Amino acid sequence: MHNAALPIVAEGLQRYFGSGDDVVKAVDGVDLQIQPGEIFGFLGPNGAGKSTTVRMLTTLLRPTGGNGRVAGFDIVDEANDVRRNIGVALQDAAIDPLMTGTELLRLQAVLYGLPKATHATKAGELLERVGLTAAGDRRVGTYSGGMRRRLDLALSLIHEPSVLFLDEPTTGLDPMSRISLWDEIRRLNNDGTTVLLTTQYLEEADQLAERIAIIDEGVIVRKGRPNELKADVGSPTLFLNVDAEATQQATTLLATFGELRPSPEGALGVGLDAGPSAVSNVIRDLDQAGITVRHLELHEPSLDDVFAEATGYRLEGADT
Amino acid sequence: MTDTAADTRPKRAIELTPSNAAQTWAMSKRSIVALWRQPALVVPSIIFPLFFAALGTASFSRATNLPGFPAVDSYLDFALAGAIVQGILFGSTVGATALATDIENGFFDRLLSSPSTRSGIIIGRMAGGMAYGAVQTLIFIAILLPFGLTVKGGILGVLAMTVGGTVLALAVGALMSAMAIKTGSSEAVQGAFPLLFIALFFSSAFFPRETMSGVYGRLADFNPISYLVEGFRDLTIEGFTFGAALNAIVIPSVLAVLTVALSLRALRSRLGAR
Repeated sequence: MHNAALPIVAEGLQRYFGSGDDVVKAVDGVDLQIQPGEIFGFLGPNGAGKSTTVRMLTTLLRPTGGNGRVAGFDIVDEANDVRRNIGVALQDAAIDPLMTGTELLRLQAVLYGLPKATHATKAGELLERVGLTAAGDRRVGTYSGGMRRRLDLALSLIHEPSVLFLDEPTTGLDPMSRISLWDEIRRLNNDGTTVLLTTQYLEEADQLAERIAIIDEGVIVRKGRPNELKADVGSPTLFLNVDAEATQQATTLLATFGELRPSPEGALGVGLDAGPSAVSNVIRDLDQAGITVRHLELHEPSLDDVFAEATGYRLEGADT
Repeated sequence: MTDTAADTRPKRAIELTPSNAAQTWAMSKRSIVALWRQPALVVPSIIFPLFFAALGTASFSRATNLPGFPAVDSYLDFALAGAIVQGILFGSTVGATALATDIENGFFDRLLSSPSTRSGIIIGRMAGGMAYGAVQTLIFIAILLPFGLTVKGGILGVLAMTVGGTVLALAVGALMSAMAIKTGSSEAVQGAFPLLFIALFFSSAFFPRETMSGVYGRLADFNPISYLVEGFRDLTIEGFTFGAALNAIVIPSVLAVLTVALSLRALRSRLGAR
């Protein structure tokens, strides 16, 4: 498909902050081609450049270099056309706590220029869609974190956008709220909405995204379908904990089974070249060397491994 | 943009017709409702100027005999103009603080990512302060009337003061909003509040310029607040004249043009020179 026809395209997108020796390259040459109807996961730790990229694509920040098109419009020269066609839910569910859910939806309807006759119906439909009908006339200040996120999503849908940007939509939510938001995102996507989702949760990207890009220090370090990326990592990873004084010896021994991999603090990680069947050999060899294994886990290749392999470290709080 | 690309743009399910006026009005309603829902923020800016006026009337009643003091029935007539301007200066920071809070919590970005006009967002946010400026002017006059206040300018004078008060609220609100946009910090906006207080004291808000001397008097001569207050004051103690009404309305209007431009400029620079 020609680039101009894609819902989201970035070519060499850059954003630098500061100047001279103090310049910070927050985003340094990001290329993206997102297909119509796709959920694309943009994965990376805090400060990697995810939000800066989203802010440029949603016209909130002017790029230092490169260019981007969203919904067929240039993000700099046709910013207002971009705004009409995108829905945006930014980090931290930014909502005025003094207003009620219904009032905010109606305000949003005016800002996007919906016909006045449709405002009340539309607000009611969206509140129902995100399960907030009963709370619609309450001030947002009284909402829980999950309710605010759902309202935030409803606000971004008021004008039925073809492209939706969700910047860390579930950060800080409890597991139930997270799953309910995932379901809603899937429903939207089934209706044909293209979604760019940033997240620092590997599981979220794995669950929702058809393709992902991993960004680290402003640069995309991996891009592709999660399954293919996992397959590229190859062998499963064995994580184990031994007594501190035996760490050095255990590391040397583990290296004979495959490459050492980044591991959570206090643990050792090794990619098993011979596959899962090598676990018993590892235990035997460690036992023979007089090293006691305190804890052991075997992981099939995960996005966490893809991330670790690409960046040299693991995401804080990621499942291992 | 080529024709080929134009053909592939998404077809809209619903027709959008954003209207600048409707957006500004919706944003204005929001800021007015916000003030109404936070009485604790606005009540002090009514109480304190009234308190100052009452204190002044009790303490300075004989000061009206000083050489250079205009002929007034009581200090209260003299104090009204200062109280109105003082109340508006205080009240206008509330809207700017709310704007800074919008920036801090990200709501501002939500507004900016919508196809609403930038000036509508700023003016709308200030509308609460403007409505408040108008209401506050009327409240001050209404409360002080039973205590012996006489407005010689009559209905026209009150009208001119109300319009002037509204525009002044816009001017000060926009100035403080420029700071809110530049810093994105509600603390910074509140921190700048004493500067307004100082600007007020180095004006003729509490005493006529004729009674001031030295640096104090020269600063008051340069301070636009002096001329603004004197416009309000002439409407109160001398009666309605076009000159006084112009002072009361034109000075804040000129200030408003400058400060709204300043705040839009701050917004452009915040968006990366867009």
